[in-house]
Amino acid sequence: MHRTADRSSSRRDTVLFLVCLILSAAALLTPTRWTLSFANAVRETALLPLVLLQQRAEEGRTSRALLRETMAQRDSAAITAQTVTGLRVENERLRGLLGLRTRESGSFVAAEVLHQSLPADGRTLLLSAGSRAGVHPYQPVIAPEGLVGVVSRVGPTTSMANSWAHAEFRVSAVTADGAVLGIVAPSASADPSLTVLEFRGVAYRDTVPDGTLVLTSGLGGVYPRGIPIGQVKGVRREELGWERVYRLIPMVNPGVVSHVLLLTFPAESSAAAPTDSFP
Amino acid sequence: MARRGAWPLWLVLGVLTLLQFYLRPRVYTGQGAPDFLLLALLILSIRSRPGTAAVAGFVVGFVADVLSPARFGAGMLAHTLVAYLAAWGRAVFFADNLLVNAGVFFLGTLMRNFLVLLLSGFVAEAVFASVTLWSTLQALTTALAGVFVVLAIRHRVDFRLEE
Repeated sequence: MHRTADRSSSRRDTVLFLVCLILSAAALLTPTRWTLSFANAVRETALLPLVLLQQRAEEGRTSRALLRETMAQRDSAAITAQTVTGLRVENERLRGLLGLRTRESGSFVAAEVLHQSLPADGRTLLLSAGSRAGVHPYQPVIAPEGLVGVVSRVGPTTSMANSWAHAEFRVSAVTADGAVLGIVAPSASADPSLTVLEFRGVAYRDTVPDGTLVLTSGLGGVYPRGIPIGQVKGVRREELGWERVYRLIPMVNPGVVSHVLLLTFPAESSAAAPTDSFP
Repeated sequence: MARRGAWPLWLVLGVLTLLQFYLRPRVYTGQGAPDFLLLALLILSIRSRPGTAAVAGFVVGFVADVLSPARFGAGMLAHTLVAYLAAWGRAVFFADNLLVNAGVFFLGTLMRNFLVLLLSGFVAEAVFASVTLWSTLQALTTALAGVFVVLAIRHRVDFRLEE
């Protein structure tokens, strides 16, 4: 009798295990756009209390450090701002002389990064701002140091961003002096703790010295011009004598960034971004 | 009849969930920080039947995947396997010993991270680097936290530790 009960329990355990395995495998095989929508819906409903709790904790941790940092930045900005008026007038006059239209100024939404404990964290980031705060897909995500990534999915109170470590990340880039154009993408290793960026599509005749700052070029209409991406650190490889691929050390580590800004630009100015610059 | 000490275990699991979503982000969120949610799962698993542990693993994996969907389903599969193996392993050969429990927490974290990286499509060198560096550190901190939790609750929850 006892043995029969044991066998029955053992069979039940095996069935439960197999059901869980099959459901997990089905989730793995389901198309990403469906699973992301589903995850978004669950995050905004059933798991919202946990997300809000984590958001409160993140704000508590960063608030003290941010206050000191903000005060230092405000002091620096106050000194810099004294020359801004003159520069703005001069810029407007020069734009008028060249026939360029007035530069559109964008706004931003601030958000906390809600880091998770899985080792894949850093490739996708959960942000504490959603559509209610004005966030929408394909908004650039930046930190004070430079580009972090782009918003991929938006819910009412949270959003997901693909960082530069994500395999699908691409951005049109240019060296700080504007001489060399290329495409920046993550290197093949794809581990957030190891990944560096590659500055691809650089013509073989162009040489980019180590330490050169690479910025977003504004081409493509997603990222405005002038956001720092990384610094060149040697040649990663050469493609058949017609292209050099440079290694870039990213300006921002998505695995540790805690506070980000999501840039908002009017639709018309995003399309015209190539001629514009990051405010 | 309710099992003796059943409610403190659920209390412990609740506290660990709070630690994961409140204390951890408030103190340190780096890759080496302990995973309290996985710790709660392993504590539950080594006290449960394999089937119950598998279901609990599936639920914890689902939560992890919803919050960090690098590859939806990877967390579910990894947590289900780890929880089932922890429960099955204890039933078969694990001694009720503090060090063995620490070993389960360490190996469970390491295995979970390895499976998540593998199923998320990371290349082999990245998986190897992560497992040998950050995952090992996270496994150590999780095991350490687990030892503290087990020591704190062993008189309230039936852990049957060998003295």
